[in-house]
Amino acid sequence: MLEARALRKTFGRTTALDGVSLEIGEGEIVAITGPSGSGKSTALHCLAGVIRPESGEVRLDGRRVDTLGEDARTRLRRENFGIVFQFGQLVPELSAVENVALPLLFNRHGRQESSRAARSWLERLDVAGCADLRPGELSGGQLQRVAVARALAVGPRVIFADEPTGALDSLAGEQVMDALVGTARESRTALVVVTHDNRVAAYADREIVLRDGAVAGTSTAGASTAGASVAGPSAADGEVTA
Amino acid sequence: MITVMRMMVRGRSPRERARARLMSAGAALATFLLCTAANLLSFRIDAPHDRLWVFTEHEPRLLAALTLTLLVVPATVFTYQASRLATATRERRLAALRLAGATPYETRLVGAYEVGRQALLGGLLGGVAHLAVNVALWRSLDGVVPLLSPMWTLVVLAAVVLIGVGSGLAAGRHVVASPLGLVRRARPRGPRAVDLLLVGLGVALFAAGFIGKGRFPVGGPYGAALSVTVGAVLLLFGLVLAATWLIGAVARRAGRTAAAPETLLAARIVQADPRAWARALTVVGLTVFFGSAVGAQQGDILFSPWLTTSKVVAYLLIDLALLLALVTSAAALAVHQAEALLDHRRSFAVLAASGVPASALGRVLTRQALIAASPVCLVAAVAGAGIIILTTADAPGWSPGTFTFAAVRAAVTAGIGVLAAVLVARVSRRTLRGALRPEELRAG
Amino acid sequence: MSIRHVLLGLLAERPKHGYELKKEHDHHLPGARPLAYGQVYATLQRLERDGFAEVAEIAQGGGPERTAYAITGEGRAELERWLAEVEEPAPYVASPLFSRVVVATVTGGAADGYLLRQRAAHLARMRELTAEKRSGSPARVLAADYALQHLDADLRWIETAMERLADLRGEIDA
Repeated sequence: MLEARALRKTFGRTTALDGVSLEIGEGEIVAITGPSGSGKSTALHCLAGVIRPESGEVRLDGRRVDTLGEDARTRLRRENFGIVFQFGQLVPELSAVENVALPLLFNRHGRQESSRAARSWLERLDVAGCADLRPGELSGGQLQRVAVARALAVGPRVIFADEPTGALDSLAGEQVMDALVGTARESRTALVVVTHDNRVAAYADREIVLRDGAVAGTSTAGASTAGASVAGPSAADGEVTA
Repeated sequence: MITVMRMMVRGRSPRERARARLMSAGAALATFLLCTAANLLSFRIDAPHDRLWVFTEHEPRLLAALTLTLLVVPATVFTYQASRLATATRERRLAALRLAGATPYETRLVGAYEVGRQALLGGLLGGVAHLAVNVALWRSLDGVVPLLSPMWTLVVLAAVVLIGVGSGLAAGRHVVASPLGLVRRARPRGPRAVDLLLVGLGVALFAAGFIGKGRFPVGGPYGAALSVTVGAVLLLFGLVLAATWLIGAVARRAGRTAAAPETLLAARIVQADPRAWARALTVVGLTVFFGSAVGAQQGDILFSPWLTTSKVVAYLLIDLALLLALVTSAAALAVHQAEALLDHRRSFAVLAASGVPASALGRVLTRQALIAASPVCLVAAVAGAGIIILTTADAPGWSPGTFTFAAVRAAVTAGIGVLAAVLVARVSRRTLRGALRPEELRAG
Repeated sequence: MSIRHVLLGLLAERPKHGYELKKEHDHHLPGARPLAYGQVYATLQRLERDGFAEVAEIAQGGGPERTAYAITGEGRAELERWLAEVEEPAPYVASPLFSRVVVATVTGGAADGYLLRQRAAHLARMRELTAEKRSGSPARVLAADYALQHLDADLRWIETAMERLADLRGEIDA
């Protein structure tokens, strides 16, 4: 559904992307991982049509995205994508329900209808109690779940999440990931999550490892591209023993 | 300490340099205006001159000097607004100073040094500019315009620098930086009952000046003029404080009923900090107030049989000064908008990334200006015209035509005020575009 | 070892017979290796010999003989002593994963490729555990958390190892 071919992007003298190719299927949940500076966020921004790669192409349903003008890409993002960031994405002056309703209002839905839809999304993400609070009054986990509600509210085909749990402790992060992945699966929305947290990556059907702006390897629930024989990790009581 | 201060000034970011330059410009303007006013006062009184009667005759000369002095108010507000730019960066730096072991007093000294330095630079610039204009006029107008004694220039310069240092010391008041480098800002107070006292006092002084025109107890007619001016300024500050409440109420209402997301966003953002808007709109309100009051006064005169050319010219000059004040206050507004945008750049950048067009976010800016400026300008215009009408309506010469003129003039003045705010918001869209760059999306 | 203490802990609730103990052990410690039936009885007999447990009842119905065991006062004291003890932090690294990576580095083989494959394998297991957590009982979730965080630690070590190897290679090449 969404595919990128040989993406290249530089910022000044640093090369952020050096020929990245990847593909996201309908309703698929994909994690993009890699050490910091490996180009994860830049790849996400290119896929989401926020920035344009210098070369290479991005296609949504076979239609070129990267060659579109700013207006067309803006419309495309609004109709097809939802975005969740690490922090600071909600408008601090608006209540949670108004924040979630905002994209609906921009899509020319009525105020009443948008508010109602926003409330039901908040309920689905277990933050209905926060509906009338401002972002400043919410905990980190609640903030992120409101942000997820906002990303989902317009019924996007793909949700892009950039370190969605980066500012949270592990339990709050887990609740956000449960909510994000759960609702994405229910509504058959594809999810691309950029993270350096392996436990977040473990929510995905597939992992794409970036290293120095290129794909170093991928692995799916079934097998890894690197293949070969692998000594399976025995979990639980561990291999580090006295 | 001086070394630390110098280091701080050298290591400024481009944004802070811009802020410093704006502050210097404001200080320069204030110095220039004050010097020119002093210059006017040192004219040879009542020397007959056919072309330059405005400057040589007693009453118009005083009026012009007063107007110039009043223009210092917008220049000062502009400087103050500029000093608020890049507050976040400055606060971080002050916090870092505390972390490095500076006492709270020392960090405030650093702030005072920074502002004082810009005031001195700007003041020198303004003084030199005034000197150049002064010399040129002195030479070309065969001695009608006297050279201002350098003493006066020095006095004005010292005053500007002192005010700068004082405000620099005061600016640190709201920022409490703990030795651990944490910054918290004292919450600004809401409107209080004392503000109403300010309004009352202003009305009293203003009315006293007008009613007691000929027989004012102190200083005769000039005492009356001074009373009117001080009263008007007090009244306006009171009104603007009340405007904080008014803007908040209007924004709340607009937010509740808004159907368009742009209006909702604009209303909620204004509602969250009506004080900042009221502060930024002080001078716009002041200008609208005076414009409207002068308009009503003009109506009184224009339709009266005692209309003279000198009065028409004097009024035109006042209108020109008001326009100048409006331009300065518009610049102060632009600075406020830029500051507000910096606060919102992240959430706006995220909105843009999720598909909200930049044009819609631009509309958020203009609607904010509309929501905040409309009530302030309306109240200022009604207050300005109202006071003149109330205090002079019993005088001869008030006719339906006069009332109509005053009303139209008040409406037009209010409209110009709102228009100025909206135009500034439209100009801010350029800043907005910069704030929406994807780089803002990066964490940290 | 600790199976003794786990069984003692399960007996602290009420007298239970061997089959019941095995089921409860597997239920509460879902990530652990399942207990063999014989092991349960051997342990119970040892507990009885040490005076920590005693036979409470022998039911002899139509089925097989079922002996229920109960915890003794001494057993309770032993259980408390064990719970108060602090587990010694693992003093030696004796993981096969660790050995494999070190050997791969020393022999100059393709440690990098190996590490990537190992990462994929670890992540696959983490995926299973994450999925298990969604529908599991509280005990299963606790066990999955334990396993997930250990695997995560392994992975983070693998990442550090890869970066160090890259740095090392850079130094050698330079």
